[in-house]
Amino acid sequence: MTETTATHCPYCALQCAMALTQTEAATPGRGARVALAGRAFPTNRGGLCKKGWTAAELINSPDRILEPMLRQPDGSFAPAAWDMALNLIAERLAGGRAEHGADSVGVFGGGGLTNEKAYQLGKFARLALGTSRIDYNGRFCMSSAAAAGNRAFGLDRGLPFPVEDLDAAATILILGSNPAQTMPPFIGHLDGARAAGGLIVVDPRRTATARLTENGAGSHVQPTPGSDLVLLLGLINIVIAEKLVDQDYIDSRTIGFDELRRSVGQWWPERVQAQTGVPTQQLRDLARRLASGRGTYILTGRGVEQHADGTDTATAAINLSLILGLVGTDHSGYGTLTGQGNGQGGREHGQKCDQLPGYRKITDPAARAHVAGVWEVHPDSIPGAGLPAVELLASMGESGGIRTLLVHGANVVVSAPNADRVRAGLAALDFLVVCDFFFSETAALADVVLPVTQWAEEDGTMTSLEGRVIRRRTAVAAPAGVRSELWIFQELARRLDAPSRYSTDPAEVFDELARASAGGPADYSGLSYGLLDEGQAAYWPYPAGSTGTPRLFRDRFQHADGRARMFPVRARVADAPAQQRGILTLITGRLLEHYQSGAQTRRVPELALARPEARLQLHPATAAQLGVADGGWVDVTNSRGVVRCRAEVTLSIRHDTVFLPFHFPGEQSANRLTDDVTDPVSGMPEFKRTTVRVRALAGEERGADA
Amino acid sequence: MPEPGSESRPGPIPERIVLVGYGPVGARFVEELLPVVRAGLATLTVVGAETADAYNRVLIADYAVGHAGREALEVTDTAAARATGVSILTGTSVTAISRTRSTVTLGTGAELAWDRLVLATGARANVPTLAGVARVRRNLMMPPQDAATLDSNEATLPRGVVALRDLDDARTVRGAVRAGGRIVVLGAGVLGMELALAAARGGAEVCVVHHGEIPMNRNLDRGGGTVLARAARAAGVTMVNHSRAESVLFRLDDDAVQRFDALICADGKQIGGDLLVLSCGTGARTELAHLAGLPVSTGILVDGSLRSWADPRIHAIGDCAHVAAPPAPGAGAARPTGGPTGLIGPGWRQADRLAADFTARLTAAGSGGAPAPNEFAAGRAGDLLAPATAVVMLKAEGVDVVAAGDTAADPWDSEPGSHADGCATAPVSVSQWADPEHGRYVKMVTRSGILTGFVCVGMPRTGAELTLLFERGSELPADRSVLLRFDGPDDVPGAGGDAFARETTVCWCNGVSVGAITDAAAAGNATVTCIGAATRAGTGCGGCKTRIGELLDRFPVPTPAPAP
Repeated sequence: MTETTATHCPYCALQCAMALTQTEAATPGRGARVALAGRAFPTNRGGLCKKGWTAAELINSPDRILEPMLRQPDGSFAPAAWDMALNLIAERLAGGRAEHGADSVGVFGGGGLTNEKAYQLGKFARLALGTSRIDYNGRFCMSSAAAAGNRAFGLDRGLPFPVEDLDAAATILILGSNPAQTMPPFIGHLDGARAAGGLIVVDPRRTATARLTENGAGSHVQPTPGSDLVLLLGLINIVIAEKLVDQDYIDSRTIGFDELRRSVGQWWPERVQAQTGVPTQQLRDLARRLASGRGTYILTGRGVEQHADGTDTATAAINLSLILGLVGTDHSGYGTLTGQGNGQGGREHGQKCDQLPGYRKITDPAARAHVAGVWEVHPDSIPGAGLPAVELLASMGESGGIRTLLVHGANVVVSAPNADRVRAGLAALDFLVVCDFFFSETAALADVVLPVTQWAEEDGTMTSLEGRVIRRRTAVAAPAGVRSELWIFQELARRLDAPSRYSTDPAEVFDELARASAGGPADYSGLSYGLLDEGQAAYWPYPAGSTGTPRLFRDRFQHADGRARMFPVRARVADAPAQQRGILTLITGRLLEHYQSGAQTRRVPELALARPEARLQLHPATAAQLGVADGGWVDVTNSRGVVRCRAEVTLSIRHDTVFLPFHFPGEQSANRLTDDVTDPVSGMPEFKRTTVRVRALAGEERGADA
Repeated sequence: MPEPGSESRPGPIPERIVLVGYGPVGARFVEELLPVVRAGLATLTVVGAETADAYNRVLIADYAVGHAGREALEVTDTAAARATGVSILTGTSVTAISRTRSTVTLGTGAELAWDRLVLATGARANVPTLAGVARVRRNLMMPPQDAATLDSNEATLPRGVVALRDLDDARTVRGAVRAGGRIVVLGAGVLGMELALAAARGGAEVCVVHHGEIPMNRNLDRGGGTVLARAARAAGVTMVNHSRAESVLFRLDDDAVQRFDALICADGKQIGGDLLVLSCGTGARTELAHLAGLPVSTGILVDGSLRSWADPRIHAIGDCAHVAAPPAPGAGAARPTGGPTGLIGPGWRQADRLAADFTARLTAAGSGGAPAPNEFAAGRAGDLLAPATAVVMLKAEGVDVVAAGDTAADPWDSEPGSHADGCATAPVSVSQWADPEHGRYVKMVTRSGILTGFVCVGMPRTGAELTLLFERGSELPADRSVLLRFDGPDDVPGAGGDAFARETTVCWCNGVSVGAITDAAAAGNATVTCIGAATRAGTGCGGCKTRIGELLDRFPVPTPAPAP
């Protein structure tokens, strides 16, 4: 009998449970072959999506990098021994620091890294490199909702309740999220609300999720892009005006209601209709449904959060939840649907520029002292706050900016906004090191690429969208030339004479992480591999001596007085450009078949075959106006860049909006067009409202395949 | 908007800004200016005649009929503004502006000095000429001295007659609605119709009397107005058109004071009721400006930057402002076009714009000047001088009316021409949809494809989309009927399609279509489990297993399997 290993999917934050069985061991030249099956677990109930079912193909992919690769003078890559590669990197890191200061070295992490790697990366940056310049791609993902949760509740855990709690709800409002395609097994938890006719999806597109509202299962609200904040302020206005508030809850559990009430006075339904395109009756019906009191959840996603006012928009969703008395009850709630696999844990343990492990603030002297104690260093040796991701990347090649960059679990050339500028910045670096499984578009620009283990080849923990800490387990051995990042950190730290310890044993790193997190908002101190391996459903905070916290805020919020804060937020009425002669609003998002920058999923033949390229979705009326045919070539332009791709003409999008998936590189890369203007609170870029001009291409102008 | 620099400058003298008027537009200006006040770059003093804090006059009809509480009218946080250092004087009138001494004189006799003066004095309700109702005579050269009688000049309206403008008026209406009385509304503009519909919904018997053919005749064309009148009747409002009110009949209350009894029209019609609400439009409060020698037309004349034509230090915003381009030097004194809209949207936009200009000017040393111009032209809403930019929406639950721009044109007015795209002299084109039986009417007026005016009644989603298109100055789809179908049963993309078409998705988790499943069934996979193993359909959330079963029933597995 071959051994079966219980682990979880490598992709999204739902972290579907899987069972892996090795069918062929790794060889020096190729990863192992693995048979994969769904495994019973409360979140996915044994089911998997298309990405999950095919995930193991990447282990055995012929594209894998199996030894360190060094850029040659002629621009090509050649393999090198680990020792040589690590010596070179250590030398360049030390040299760059000596010549240009510690903050000339940058580190860019990822929300797909295990808790152990994310923790160790933050520690390595602060202690071994001495730099404050570390941030990660979660800045593009969860930062707005996190900032909003922290200021309202004093704590940010994506879902402050287990996913199964949704099953009993009669009403679920989903704002700007398309889980039917981005985390499909999740939609089983919407069945209760659908049966009650109460699934409400807000999206400018009639997505697969929006279509779950058909046939009496609920309603689809289709506002114009970028008007989500006004929509939410309008709902708050109606709830207050129609006296649908939960006054006892407001009085006993919150502060700031009067200011909130005054701040939404200007957003009466007709004015909201004029800004959003959502009819007043639909707004009223929605507000009344949310207040109907039979179990109501409000969930936000990137569609409303990835804006320059994303924090305020998430705050408005929270305010709406609070006046309805939803948060911290056993029947209702507010949550944000985390995207990346470890998007939750990845934002808790020190990859963020302003943060230390346990979700502590790096500027808080007590937090610094505690973590310095665990690290056995002097608190003053820990650098201060750095720069959030967009600023960090923008500083590449600028005076006083970063000159050396380490990238872990990210593909910024495809995933960061204003991608052409990012590409130029990377080219301006003195030295770029990328750890990856493949030659991602970012790795292809590196000076050194280090091959690292994949999910089935390593142990660790992930923290899922519901704040549950789960175990990733080694099912197969990695090919000989591939290393864990924990090992790489240890080797580099030794070469850099770094203080403190860098264990290569994930269980040891986890124990250290747990101690470092003790007393912090995200407290893991009661957890260990032993306990997790017993199958304990472990939701943080899990202080030593406790049994964890499946449901947060039952009795109190995390502010000192125990009350939630209702921050009045204001909508800036942006004057949208005149939509004439092909000027339209671009929104971006994900497809069922691909994950994030596509560096992995584009290498799975079944997925690549199903969705080989980006297609620009546009409405038939708009297409007719512009002379665009379904499947015809278009170019999409603004001052930042050009995208050239085929069109997909569909009724499932507003006539004033076009959509591009952001999974594709090169001339199909949507982020060549997006703006790197950011939210003043969270640092989130404006991904979801970009003005572009769309033009049909004539035969002779066609793209690569013409 | 650039944030004011937080570092203290070498002893700047804060600019003294005085705002006259604390209605919703004034309050908005205050909110937007708080950062520069906080930064010590300006001092702000607000003088408001009403004793209440700024409240939202737009909702006063809702308040009057009891649909909105007093709290719902609050639009600003006066305490927060005061805490920031703004001096707010309510219940205080301004009686004079001196431009030479740069001061204003208050009703108390005190004087306030200003470097910049912003007038947001708003408008007052018009009282029409009706025998029996004293007409307020206003002397442009003599502004009222007392805040309490700002608009009445001591000529108070008779008992039972009210012009719905302030909170006291609203309370009077509220009493009548509560008592289930009969309310006569004179005037069928947007405010009159809103009050009538709200009062009817609140249980009052309501009659609207107006002299034109259709209600809202300033905003709607004949088709739209006719459909609105029908909708109003269906909502229980009696609509009396073509009726010019001439006089008022009174009866005596027990205390021997006259009270409204009936309205008498020119044709002899007598319309009785318990309360007469005058809704005959508003007039800008311009006396102060006029007395100070500032040019005034239907409002205080200001240019596209909201500066008085005569004094760049004085500004006007909201209902008292008439935004128009000043005549070129030497040009004749033609009557300026446009005028105050009486709508809150443009007023707030003006407040935002003026506060942004002030902020930019006061922080200019710290910032790099104006932000880079957008590569794509901003929509119509950004241009304060653009004609007829206001969108008018009737606030009434269940009656959807929205209109904007010039909608007088008729579909057959002109031949489709051969003008170039964007040609300013291109004729307008009109598309129209009328279904009075079902209460639906749409007219779309375009010039070179760009929406320049519309009326939409009874089609909420279409109205909402047309509003967005109009505000942005956008092009309409060549097939205008696309816009009509938003409110139709066929606007459910995909749902109207064939659930058993080959390309229809069955399993979302794995992206499996009907075709893939029936192919797998044809290959011999006869159970839901077999289909799952072959196609992965049903192996995600499992929600589609029932549908897979239906498909298997509908397309039974053939025996033997057909040849490929």
